[in-house]
Amino acid sequence: MDICFADSTVRFGDRIALHPLTLTLRERRIGIIGLNGSGKTTFARLINGLVKPTSGSVTVNGLDTVTDDKAVLGQAGFIFQNPQNQLILPIVSEDIALGLKGRGLSKAEIEARTQAVLLRFGIGHLGSRRVHELSGGELQLAALASVLVTAPDILIMDEPTNQLDIRNRALVGRTIDGLDEHVIVISHDLDLIADFDRVLLFHEGRLCGDGPPAKMVELYREIAA
Amino acid sequence: MKTLYVDGNTALHRLSPRVKLAGLMLASILLFLTRSPLALGTALALAIYLYAMLPLGFKVSLHRLRPVLWTIAVVALFSFLVQSAEEATVALLRLSVLMLLAASVTATTTVSAFIEVATEAARPLERMGLVNAADIGLAIGLVIRFVPDITGHYQSVRDAHLARGIKLRPLTVVVPLIILTLKSADEVAGAIDARGIRNQKA
Repeated sequence: MDICFADSTVRFGDRIALHPLTLTLRERRIGIIGLNGSGKTTFARLINGLVKPTSGSVTVNGLDTVTDDKAVLGQAGFIFQNPQNQLILPIVSEDIALGLKGRGLSKAEIEARTQAVLLRFGIGHLGSRRVHELSGGELQLAALASVLVTAPDILIMDEPTNQLDIRNRALVGRTIDGLDEHVIVISHDLDLIADFDRVLLFHEGRLCGDGPPAKMVELYREIAA
Repeated sequence: MKTLYVDGNTALHRLSPRVKLAGLMLASILLFLTRSPLALGTALALAIYLYAMLPLGFKVSLHRLRPVLWTIAVVALFSFLVQSAEEATVALLRLSVLMLLAASVTATTTVSAFIEVATEAARPLERMGLVNAADIGLAIGLVIRFVPDITGHYQSVRDAHLARGIKLRPLTVVVPLIILTLKSADEVAGAIDARGIRNQKA
């Protein structure tokens, strides 16, 4: 994985959501922390091109998020805060299969890949279940399956343990640990990112810390105090 | 997100979605070609039979139809007041049959099957360069997906009113309902983009 930010800035009207930023991300597990409205989500959305830089550029594995936006979406999967709206169709397997349609795969192949990704996350039994019947943890795993079925290289997760109980937080944490993909996680759950390779700390639209988790969490607590 | 689809293995479940939708279209044309109360009454009896065959149970069956039933009642009443009792009977019968047939098709067809059929049906238009067939299929699938969602949003808004002891008024219900629906539509649109679903060549 190679994500490069070159003097990237994001403005929404007069407001600067993200001040000029230059950095490269290569680590397998990257955490993003910061107070509400600090620019974390804008930064993460820049990576898969959901937000375009107002100036500067962002490249993912050499692909520009503005000029190669469709290819970038194939490289970087994104899981939103609310997995209910991440899942587009009401039945789990139906939703996972939707991501594979129109890719020149046969029906049998789509079914096999859908089953395989469900089994990968130990949720084979949820395939025929309705999305609204799932628990918070099951919803996160289904959202994960729906994104990873298309085999992106990078996975970006926006507060994956938000509103989950302790058991489901642990389940999502273990699942992230076991992923082969590069993972970038925005989180207020500081335990989740405690063993990550690198943590970025945002404050008022600026990157104000970049380093190992313990050091960044300490700095975050100082800022938040 | 809830779904109107109900699991089962009835004859309607087994029938191809293409046949069901074509049949529904044909039935709606035929219903407007006749004014005979006998023919419309027979069609209603058949539609009730078809709908009653679904594994829904009486209470759920009725609950699903309630909002449409009210609309049909208003249309029939309006016809009765401005036209005649005969017109009102014909409107009541036609719309009731249509409602029951459409509800039967929706309850036995998954959203992905709807998307597939709509995409195939839009292919000729795509070949003429008028539309993107996959977009048409997805749009129709999303409409069906959002129907129970809107009901859920209405229940949340109603509960919020009740919890605060506020009387339900059209304006205080409709405005938050629209905002909630647009907000989730925006999030779903974001997910469609992020998952690259519209980038695929269908």
